[in-house]
Amino acid sequence: MDLLLNEEQLLLRDAATKLAASAGPRRARELRNAGSEVDRTAWSAMVKAGWLAALVPETQNGLGLGLFDLALALEETGRQIVMTPLIEAAAAIWAVSRATDASHLARTATAAKIVIPAMTLPGQRYDSVASPALDPGAMTLTGAVSFVAFAPSADLFLVAAQAGSEAVLCLVPRDASGLAIATTPNVDGSTSSTLTFARVAVADEHLVARGEIAAATAARMQELLVLGTSAELLGVAAAALDLTVQYTKLREQFGRKIGSFQALQHRMVDCYVDAELNRSLLFKVLSAWDGGVAHPAMVSAVKARVGKSALKTVRTALQLHGAIGYTDEHDIGVTYKRAVALAAKYGNEITHVGRFSALTLTQRAAE
Amino acid sequence: MTMQWDNTTLFSDDDPADRAFRAEVRAWIAANCPKELRDRPLRIDPPELKPWHRKLYERGWIAPHWPKEVGGMGATLTQQIILFEEMSRIGAPTPYPHGLNFIGPLIIDAGTPEQKARHLPGILTGDITWCQGYSEAGAGSDLASLTTRAVLDGDAFVVNGHKMWTTNGHFADWMFALVRTDPQAKPRHAGITMLLIHLTSPGITVRPIQTIRGDAEFAEEFFVDVRVPKANMLGALNGGWQVANRLLGSERFTTGHPRNAAVILNKARQIAEYTGAIRDPAFRHRLALIEIDLLAFSAFYRHAASLQSHGKAPLAMAPVIKIAGGELGQQASELLVDAAGPLGASAADVMVGNTALNPAADLFEMRRVTVGSGTVEIQRNIIAKRVLDLPGA
Repeated sequence: MDLLLNEEQLLLRDAATKLAASAGPRRARELRNAGSEVDRTAWSAMVKAGWLAALVPETQNGLGLGLFDLALALEETGRQIVMTPLIEAAAAIWAVSRATDASHLARTATAAKIVIPAMTLPGQRYDSVASPALDPGAMTLTGAVSFVAFAPSADLFLVAAQAGSEAVLCLVPRDASGLAIATTPNVDGSTSSTLTFARVAVADEHLVARGEIAAATAARMQELLVLGTSAELLGVAAAALDLTVQYTKLREQFGRKIGSFQALQHRMVDCYVDAELNRSLLFKVLSAWDGGVAHPAMVSAVKARVGKSALKTVRTALQLHGAIGYTDEHDIGVTYKRAVALAAKYGNEITHVGRFSALTLTQRAAE
Repeated sequence: MTMQWDNTTLFSDDDPADRAFRAEVRAWIAANCPKELRDRPLRIDPPELKPWHRKLYERGWIAPHWPKEVGGMGATLTQQIILFEEMSRIGAPTPYPHGLNFIGPLIIDAGTPEQKARHLPGILTGDITWCQGYSEAGAGSDLASLTTRAVLDGDAFVVNGHKMWTTNGHFADWMFALVRTDPQAKPRHAGITMLLIHLTSPGITVRPIQTIRGDAEFAEEFFVDVRVPKANMLGALNGGWQVANRLLGSERFTTGHPRNAAVILNKARQIAEYTGAIRDPAFRHRLALIEIDLLAFSAFYRHAASLQSHGKAPLAMAPVIKIAGGELGQQASELLVDAAGPLGASAADVMVGNTALNPAADLFEMRRVTVGSGTVEIQRNIIAKRVLDLPGA
């Protein structure tokens, strides 16, 4: 269903559609084969459009948009499988602007940079790894964070750590002394890294926040990552369904278009119904998020359901494409892998259903 | 039973006037809905509902979606939804839809002045009970194949045939029926006419049909040379299909409301605490999955209602509500039975505190929702054709 959008939102979505048009599954495959996780052409266009500061208030030289607005762009970039760290950088830059005042040097240090949040998300932690801790006296960081996206491409990391009982947020340049980055490739050409900090010195101007503001900002930043990724994944699922509907309208067997078979039609309709519900849920939760109403359980509901449906949709897509869908040459395979990667990113269905269940039971117990 | 965790913060009313209306409705229903009608585990037959219907009528809230000039409330869609939600919140029964939601709007839309004057007041007061005579033994999903025949003879139609699966048929005073007036018509739906039939007319035999739920919700009606005055034709001769198909839009919103599934899910939670199933991680996982689906459906429903209010409701809205809402209600009822453990097989009510629950009855009741008024398979066909634009067979 259509969203009721204002003029500004329509323009933003159009801009995203235009920007994404130069990407697509073919481009994503080329990048993957070249071992490149960022589409630099698309990224430059995003930087130029100011999208990295999309969520930063206009008074602080941002675009002053909401996550609802940014998600309109993310849905389009998801649809065209544009490989960029848009939600990561937008989330980190928003967090820096929220947690600092105007004179803070961290603001200028992060402007238009690839800043990647390095924090432990639900379900994304190895038990054996110690979370990063800041020694407040020596101002050095020790510990590790796993499953960090885009680490090889990052200019800076925004690290969520503990300093004793207090939460801190600090910036660490990728080339900082004492920081080791172990990277593994993902199926879609993206990467996942473990950052290990061994007494990494944190400069004063890189200490973004400490205490309650740091904890609250980190929690909201985590929700940005989860919700933004859900928006992208919604776009991927939509693309997979579109490709499948188009294919079954062309492909003939038994002298008929296979799209005329009811068994196939109903499978595609189920994907459509799922997508419609997810879209309404996502944008409802995004409006609430923009309104400052925290709904941690709702955030998990979104990722759980969008992830689950996206995987169902790409499975259906592959099945309905038949043998051609199993080839690396066909676009549907690229779309499939993208869905697998984004569904696993920042908490998969099992993680978020569990989190939803725990949060809602606590909430009910409190009533 | 009250809604426990109701996500009311996420799905709250945006407009202060709506919030005030909700408060007013909530207080009035709490004060006026008879206690013995609330949270009834089994269906309530129309005669027992009449006093409650009357109270709503006297308060002016019986027909929120009807225009004011014909005795309705002229309410916004949001107000209509609020009324439904608040009744459901307290476990109050909602009046049967056949008069108020189905034939009423059709008479308002397509009726003659005489038909309006004769039929609308009885629908509003609840004095007259209506039933819908569409389905037949051989005409279910393929409704256009119906064969109950009406032949014009002077100033009356002579009706012969058989209608089936008629909810409240054995309690109804009147039936609005689709009958075949042109057996040669191509396409077949071009030979169908809508008649308003007084069920006390000579030649009509009504038999209740026992359902798997254990009550007699349905009836079947046999028509032998029944004379129906020509003045009781609604719309044009052979124009019955068009009349019936005008029934789209806001009527869908109360029959498909997410609260229908929410109420059952609350019962599942309630009985899970009683049986201890709530401490089982496998149960909790299933509960969470259905709750998440319910949130998504609630968001879709609100989204659809807001588009409908802006006159932008998409084609697929009604089929999606029907599929998602119906299947969700079924899953909730299956969870309810599982939460009950061995009590899931009980034919008798299960007392949980002061509340009587009947999990198996809800399970049976929910089987109906994916069949009645267009099966979910037919709804999927509609989406495949109209939205995905997939080729026909």
